[in-house]
Amino acid sequence: MKISNYKYSPDIPEVFRCRVPLANTIQTYVVNGLLSEELVAEQYSLVRKSCAGFDLKVNKESQPDQNIQIISFRNSEYLEKLEFESTINVAEGSSCKVLLCTHTLSMDSFETNEVINIDVEKGADAKFVLMQNEHNQSKHSILLNINIQEEAKFKLSVISLHGEALTNEFECNLNGENSYCELNGLYLVDGSQTISTKVNMRHNKPNCKSSQLFKGILDNNSKALFSGKIVVAKDSQKTEAYQANHNLLLSKSAKVYAQPQLEIYADDVKCSHGATSGRLDEMALFYMRSRGIGREEAKILQQLAFAYDVLEKISNEELRARLSDLTESRLRGEFSHCSNCSMNCC
Amino acid sequence: MLKIKDLKASINGKEILKGINIEVKEGEIHAIMGPNGSGKSTLSAVLAGRDNFEVTSGTVEYKGIDLLELAPEDRARSGVFLGFQYPVEIPGVSNVNFMKTAVNEQRKHRNLAPLTSAEFLKLMREKMEIVEMDKSFSTRGVNVGFSGGEKKRNEIFQMAMLEPSLAILDETDSGLDVDALRVVAAGVNKLKRADNAFIVITHYQRLLDYIVPDVVHVLYNGRIIRTAGKELALEVETRGYDWLIKETENENQ
Repeated sequence: MKISNYKYSPDIPEVFRCRVPLANTIQTYVVNGLLSEELVAEQYSLVRKSCAGFDLKVNKESQPDQNIQIISFRNSEYLEKLEFESTINVAEGSSCKVLLCTHTLSMDSFETNEVINIDVEKGADAKFVLMQNEHNQSKHSILLNINIQEEAKFKLSVISLHGEALTNEFECNLNGENSYCELNGLYLVDGSQTISTKVNMRHNKPNCKSSQLFKGILDNNSKALFSGKIVVAKDSQKTEAYQANHNLLLSKSAKVYAQPQLEIYADDVKCSHGATSGRLDEMALFYMRSRGIGREEAKILQQLAFAYDVLEKISNEELRARLSDLTESRLRGEFSHCSNCSMNCC
Repeated sequence: MLKIKDLKASINGKEILKGINIEVKEGEIHAIMGPNGSGKSTLSAVLAGRDNFEVTSGTVEYKGIDLLELAPEDRARSGVFLGFQYPVEIPGVSNVNFMKTAVNEQRKHRNLAPLTSAEFLKLMREKMEIVEMDKSFSTRGVNVGFSGGEKKRNEIFQMAMLEPSLAILDETDSGLDVDALRVVAAGVNKLKRADNAFIVITHYQRLLDYIVPDVVHVLYNGRIIRTAGKELALEVETRGYDWLIKETENENQ
């Protein structure tokens, strides 16, 4: 065997270090788009698609008590542009708590285009958290097609901690009466990172409610794009739809482009949208300093306070605490080295 | 403890303080009174280190060190406290976290180990009692949704937590009803010791019914125009400021 051809591939759990280990959680891995282990349980199943991608199904009327964590990462075993599609079906009357994580585990350049089709069937209750922590050579775009049927609830919190160019696109369809969709997002960008968030929230039936809250903290030359549209169909009376995008700019050269849009064809609706960008509050900084808190610490406290609104929406208390800690260490600049694996190569 | 000599300060080129001289000793309470726009709040902001004011001349010596050289946080850590006229709301930062960070930064500065959570909560409970603050305030965002009176109580509570050597209270009485005023004043009186000092800045004499000053200064147009004992406050209450201003103008002519 030639040494140069030898590829060391230790078991994933040994190399990868999950920084949000939760109690009562099934952890699974998707490596370069391939699900590493299939799971078939009484209440749900997680299996491979014919090629890349996974197929998660939560069975009818099932309420798995465990969190399902799907950790997706890229490493040097596959360096081409990767495209794959996954499906998640939350069947009628069921509920689930799913944590999706994305990582990069080697210093190569990666480009990933991912589609996730999520169906939340009648009366189901789906709680999702997506955490993104990729390095500065990673371009990752995720398109989520989310279809929500009557009486169903879907909630997603997206915590984008790191990545060179992240694109998150949400195509949400409220397809049944009394359905609910909640999207919350926090993005932290610095250096030359960009993040782009696109939302289409379509109220196709009456009596549905949606809410969106996206907040971002931008430093250096980073950029954030937010384009969010709420579309209320002609007969979708009694719709409630809210959208907010707030940005905190820490440097003069960081840029944010926000484009909130409303398209309303019904006449009995409650809708609102708002986009802001601002800087740290000097008066609050002085107030904190006058109590002995140093300037840098005061800035961190203010940023954490800004991020808090989004983090507090995460229902799982343990997960909320972990993601708050990660947000804090990210804001303290502790993400300059990769700490997701034990290889210490970068 | 504090020696202010010929202090002049301006904002955007406009001179607000035109040569202030005050000396405060340990154990003293000084009141600074004066009509609106006389420079009272500027003086407190300069002492606390707000950087939008430019000190153009003069010195401020605090416990033998040059106070003006220190960053605001270092002034606080050395024991200077400013009670704000308009306390700032900081959504998302809970009172507990805010105070815990502040107390531990101060302890670090004094080479003391940080308080454990249990020690901190005990201290916090004790100090909240001084200002009769409900414990539900501790988990709320700093000053967020607090009434005017609650904000001022929170200032006194923070002062109790930080145990400053020199506390400057900027119009702590403004916007307070009589009950809140009594609570705030009682808090100050409980915290008074032989080794600390207070500068109470106020527009009205009302607060001085509860906090009895040793020295009263009247500030007008950036200068101290009269310094006397506590009887000066009563005289201002009955006669207003005009007679003092006229007397000063006559003296200058």
